Amino acid sequence: MHRFFDSDFFYAFRRSPIAIVSLIVVVFMVLSALLANFIAPTNPFDAASLNLMNGFTAPMEPNAFTGETFLLGTDDQGRDLFSAILFGLRVSLFVGLMAVGLAMVLGVLLGLIAGYVGGWLDTLIMRLADIQMTFPSILIAMLIFGVARGLLPAELREEMAITVLILSIGLSEWVNFARTVRGSTMVEKEKEYVAAARLIGLNRWQIMLRHILPNVLGPVLVIATITLALAIIAEATLSFLGVGAPRTEPSLGTLIRIGQDFLFSGEWWILLFPALTLLALALSVNLFGDWLRDTLNPRLR
Amino acid sequence: MSFVVAKDLCRTFDLSEPWIVRKLTMQPKRLLKAVDHVNFEIERGTTYALVGESGSGKSTIANMVVGLMQPSAGSITIDGQNLGNASMNRQEQQRLRRRIQMVFQSPYASLNPRWKVGDILSEPMRAFNLIDGATAQRRRVAELLEQVGMSETDAGKFPHEFSGGQRQRISIARALASQPEVIICDEPTSALDVSVQAQVLNLLKSLQQDFGLTYLFITHDLAVVSTMANKIGVLNQGVLVEEQATVDLFSKPQQDYTKMLLSAAPKIEFSS
Amino acid sequence: MTETLLELKGLEVTFKTRRGTLKAVDDLSLSIKKGEILGIVGESGAGKSMTGAAIIGLIDPPGRVSAGEVWFEQERVDAHPERLRGRQISMVFQDPLTSLNPLRTVGDQLIETILVHMNVSKSEAVQRARDGLAEVGIDPDRLNAYPHAFSGGMRQRVVVALALATEPKLVIADEPTTALDVSVQAQVLDLLKKLCRERGTSVMLITHDMGVIAQTSDRIAVMYAGRLAEIGSTREVLTNPQHPYTQGLMASTPSVDAKSFGKTLFQIPGSMPKLDALPNGCAFNPRCNQVHERCRTERPPLMSDRAACWLMETAS
Repeated sequence: MHRFFDSDFFYAFRRSPIAIVSLIVVVFMVLSALLANFIAPTNPFDAASLNLMNGFTAPMEPNAFTGETFLLGTDDQGRDLFSAILFGLRVSLFVGLMAVGLAMVLGVLLGLIAGYVGGWLDTLIMRLADIQMTFPSILIAMLIFGVARGLLPAELREEMAITVLILSIGLSEWVNFARTVRGSTMVEKEKEYVAAARLIGLNRWQIMLRHILPNVLGPVLVIATITLALAIIAEATLSFLGVGAPRTEPSLGTLIRIGQDFLFSGEWWILLFPALTLLALALSVNLFGDWLRDTLNPRLR
Repeated sequence: MSFVVAKDLCRTFDLSEPWIVRKLTMQPKRLLKAVDHVNFEIERGTTYALVGESGSGKSTIANMVVGLMQPSAGSITIDGQNLGNASMNRQEQQRLRRRIQMVFQSPYASLNPRWKVGDILSEPMRAFNLIDGATAQRRRVAELLEQVGMSETDAGKFPHEFSGGQRQRISIARALASQPEVIICDEPTSALDVSVQAQVLNLLKSLQQDFGLTYLFITHDLAVVSTMANKIGVLNQGVLVEEQATVDLFSKPQQDYTKMLLSAAPKIEFSS
Repeated sequence: MTETLLELKGLEVTFKTRRGTLKAVDDLSLSIKKGEILGIVGESGAGKSMTGAAIIGLIDPPGRVSAGEVWFEQERVDAHPERLRGRQISMVFQDPLTSLNPLRTVGDQLIETILVHMNVSKSEAVQRARDGLAEVGIDPDRLNAYPHAFSGGMRQRVVVALALATEPKLVIADEPTTALDVSVQAQVLDLLKKLCRERGTSVMLITHDMGVIAQTSDRIAVMYAGRLAEIGSTREVLTNPQHPYTQGLMASTPSVDAKSFGKTLFQIPGSMPKLDALPNGCAFNPRCNQVHERCRTERPPLMSDRAACWLMETAS
């Protein structure tokens, strides 16, 4: 641990206000999402605790009927918006992280194989990546989402919605990982430490996973962070379009979709606060990712 | 029969454009003969140096002798066993591999930067099932480090904490970890400073005496092998043009190419 | 005694890092006379390339020339070293591809250089470019060829032609032959030496190779850990080296000699210290085989204009 605080990396971090602020925002949001159960004044999904009379309460103003005050107001159902955002943040972050994890594992493995084994496998994987790159990833995600929903029996659709969401975003974002890992793998495999490993009879998998993988992970970390921002936005987009997280388990995107209905009738807060949260989250993850990229590997720019 | 025998060794590289491009532009295949019918023998416990300039095929030969590359034609036998024998099972292959190791040119690329020195040195022991148990392996790592003039505590450090010369020592220790009989030294000092080069050359020589090692030494610099090579083969564009005992090669070179190499080598003496 | 062309007085190049300031070149004073070939020899990290770069202002931040003076033809030039670049001082680097633009023909590059730096007409520039190529042993009709059409040695000849095209007074050659095969190396060195002799151009030849220095230069400066260890005429330094480092460097260089077979090479223990961990006193003291107490505490100055070593004092 001492080594970390003494490293050039930490030194660069300390000297970058953007990195510090964006990391604080991200950590703050992750913590509030994790601790949503304890922080949130109400449980927005407990239908019994909702009072329809509380509907459309403006932020920090006492409700005309019940006299209750809500920090960020309530929605049409009388649901406390602050609590809904905390829980929505949890869904958004969970989907984002899992999707990035899936994309990362898939992309890194395919990239390693393409780069190390080469030949027709390389051609196959990279052409697949090329084809996928010609479509916007949100389109790919919608396609996968649609196919998966079609295959699922109707009664499971609501239940599996989050899983399907993760799968579709994950599958649409592996290409960047694969490309970068393939490139670094092709550089690393020519190095002599790989020849030394071949000389003692290690097989391909041992060489790829034990020797090459640790040396190509630096850029992967950077891409993972930037992809996290993309995945969070993709999730919000899908949910906003109504094909993502269900109303029973609303993410930030779902909240924004709900809020949109009331934007022009004067209940601006239902849209604004979830949108601001999403903006702050995506922006700080992205800024932190940019900083990581510049610090760890300026070549990736 | 000599310990290492290379017989009619050939290697061609296909530098052609992809098939479709070739057909469209009506180009023939472009083949490069990197190694052309090279023969040499190395006696057990001696050093044989292959000397040549860039493009001479010396590194290709090194890669074929350790089995990183297959010859296009010809054969390499070590202690009577043919390296290219396809009927060997994995165990027999591993047994043969253990006997031939290599010390590489670059002190920077030859050690995995993410591995600690101790792990780098114990990996061959595990791969060849030489030493079981973490304690025994640690002891052996310490012994190896000491043999190359480093200390036991270096096992816990990463490669970037060492200088080029020290890394090359670690690279030598890794080769020794397999308890090999033949070590191919591929320009092991060409990336080092002169004062450090002498240390590494002397180390290689004393290890040879201690363990009866056989060396195939690949270099572009005749002077580097002057103290330790028993025999020198001069390569020019894939062909072995001359082979003599070192003393004879330096005092009475036969071929013009060898003479040119000898006269072009910079000498530290005052002349004017 | 011929005139001095370039003089460095107490040159210091420092790099600011978060662990403190490192001195890549530390209090270096030396001079080059007109028409002289000065060899600067040292191992990696000795500061020899930094010296060359400092003279023509090619040191990038976080590095900078933090002290000392550079005098060129009796004028102090360290405030605007870039003014000398090209016309007065030109450079030859190790990798010819760093000095040649791969997308333009060698002729274009030669002619442009001549036009920018010299007051001549276009047709005269073309003629000079052709002459320049001919001088380095390349067919002038290859003016229209691209750099990749040349082999490594030929490319370096083109770079030499380019460096000499503006008739500079000083050529700084930084490891000009390190990437070349020995046979080609000798040719390029001979060429550089011959052409500079003919024109009276001075050369600062920077290399790690004692042999290259021995065969090319008039005087030798030996650098160690950013400091000047020894300086003197080639004859003096080679036949009677004063600094134990120079002695060790020469003794540890193997040679193509039938008598060396079976012998053990002389070796200097250890390796050059990192700039952030320089020992007190003489930088060479932990590796020196003639070290005594004073070397560990007090840094020796350059004595008798020859060597920075306390042994010089006891000798005289």
